[in-house]
Amino acid sequence: MDKILAKKDFPRWLEALGAYDVYAPQLIDDVWNYELAADPKAVSLDYPQTAIPAKKIVFPQREFFFEFREADTDDYKLKELLPEGKPTVIFGVRACEGKAVTLTDLVFGGEIADDYYWKRRNAAVLVGLACASPPSTNCFCLSVNGSPHSKEGLDVLMTDLGDQYYVEILTDKGKKLVSEGGAIFHEAKPPDKKAAEKIHADSEKKLARELKNIKDVPAKLKGMFASPFWDDESMSCIRCGICTYLCPTCHCFDINDEVESQTPLAGRRVRTWDTCQFPDFTMHSSGHNPRPDKAARLRQRINHKFQYFVEVWQNYQCTGCGRCITLCPVGIDIIKVVEKVRDHAS
Amino acid sequence: MRANVYLPKLTKVISVKEEVGGVRSIKTFRTQFLDGGFTHKCGQCAMLSIFGKGESMISISSSPLVKDYLQFSILKMGRVTSAIHDLEVGSIIGIRGPYGNAFPIESWKGKNILFAGGGIGLAPIWSVLQTTLLLKKDYGDLTLIYGARTSPDIVFKEELADLKSKMTVHLSIDVAEPEWKEFVGFVAQNILDKKPSPVNTIAITCGPPIMIKTCIKALSEIGFKDDQIYTTVENKMKCGIGKCGRCNIGRHYVCKDGPVYSWAELRQLPQEY
Repeated sequence: MDKILAKKDFPRWLEALGAYDVYAPQLIDDVWNYELAADPKAVSLDYPQTAIPAKKIVFPQREFFFEFREADTDDYKLKELLPEGKPTVIFGVRACEGKAVTLTDLVFGGEIADDYYWKRRNAAVLVGLACASPPSTNCFCLSVNGSPHSKEGLDVLMTDLGDQYYVEILTDKGKKLVSEGGAIFHEAKPPDKKAAEKIHADSEKKLARELKNIKDVPAKLKGMFASPFWDDESMSCIRCGICTYLCPTCHCFDINDEVESQTPLAGRRVRTWDTCQFPDFTMHSSGHNPRPDKAARLRQRINHKFQYFVEVWQNYQCTGCGRCITLCPVGIDIIKVVEKVRDHAS
Repeated sequence: MRANVYLPKLTKVISVKEEVGGVRSIKTFRTQFLDGGFTHKCGQCAMLSIFGKGESMISISSSPLVKDYLQFSILKMGRVTSAIHDLEVGSIIGIRGPYGNAFPIESWKGKNILFAGGGIGLAPIWSVLQTTLLLKKDYGDLTLIYGARTSPDIVFKEELADLKSKMTVHLSIDVAEPEWKEFVGFVAQNILDKKPSPVNTIAITCGPPIMIKTCIKALSEIGFKDDQIYTTVENKMKCGIGKCGRCNIGRHYVCKDGPVYSWAELRQLPQEY
């Protein structure tokens, strides 16, 4: 049954969540990000799009795999460093980010599951906030199988009704989280539901951007692999990689050893985010590079999101958050690129 | 519980053999697991760990029928392979795997097999060659066409000499040398020269990208169909399990969906290897 939570009671809910590490959008050094909420009273759900997507909590920018230590001459002791600690709850997750997590679930799951990802993922409760109006001028979720009030990947969806939140419980994890709040939640009444539905319907009309008629794009891309189109489109790229680092669906990573002591040799194996936009990403040690230039790398980004991922998982690997457009220093616009693909003479 | 996929198993180096000296040095290593281990299939790879340096994906060149060690032949190239070349008997390294698909050798029973390799490219097909030799009665004629830049660059020199009594072996070097009695020219030219019959035959080719390309062309020219030609592809890899995102050719991750492809499959994929 859906619930109603008065806004004045929201901090009380957060206070009741002592068993969790609570993350919420916070403005720190002029940038909005999902950060640990030390003071429940300071948490507000009136925020624009965060710079870094919520994926960083289930797939951190940097994490340790294991520690290695030289034990004897030529012998080593390995210590697994799987994530530990409290379960987490993330407040204010936008619909596009909840959906994005369902896409990284596909990548990190499967026959050979990634333990580090799933330790964090299984311990995370995602509380969404429906977008009454688009948090970014480049939002286009409706064009890529999403919506501003999508429930995909979320455990709870909250909708701002003015003085109160309309709270939809979507999973058992969500049910438990709401039960922690106890009596501060009230049963929602039919007019509340109607009000939430109106906000949802209206929100769909407010998106400033769209990417229409792209169902033939995956097939189209297949025929454009060798096209000079990619040279033209990638000309301005400065290879900063921001489009991929800050994409909620990008999951590429690097693995490296960090040495902390030489004798005896000791250190840790570390996973960090990586990007297909760097030349080193694919360069063989021989110097041969299968993706030798910016054109090949932009093509990889677009093809991965709008062709390869679709072929494997029947969904775009893009949830329309628009970060790569907003944050690209040279104005490469994924909507325009994909539109040009769509309209390209085959 | 299933083991953490990123945690390597410790192995001991039990033998080191220099195949080729000089700046493009190649060494063959055999390793034994300290505890447990895994069984692999022909064509699969393993991720070798040198703690403090990192990991490198290397094809397993020993036959799955040989149970007491894993063998790797490694060209000294980058940071990790250089560190591997410093290993001695008794050194401990990490290994995780096995990764990737395999040569479908079960379905090749009753067929002739032609191996065409260049340089270090003999290593990935060595596992198939050794296995089919051990199961010789299940297969038809086995032929090896192998070449290197110069005679000192030839790997498995003693094993090749020994092979000549067991199967047909054609060797080549790129440029003539005074003592060289066999073919002079590229592997692809040697294929055209020897013209092995494509009838009921599978061809496996592996080597530098340009050699693979020219060998496939030569094999097609003498009548091999696309689905009779197999090769292995390599791309830079980090995870080995299709997650880190860098070894893909189109929608295929070479670490997981490859490295073994028939030419019929590979020619459908974009040229990104």
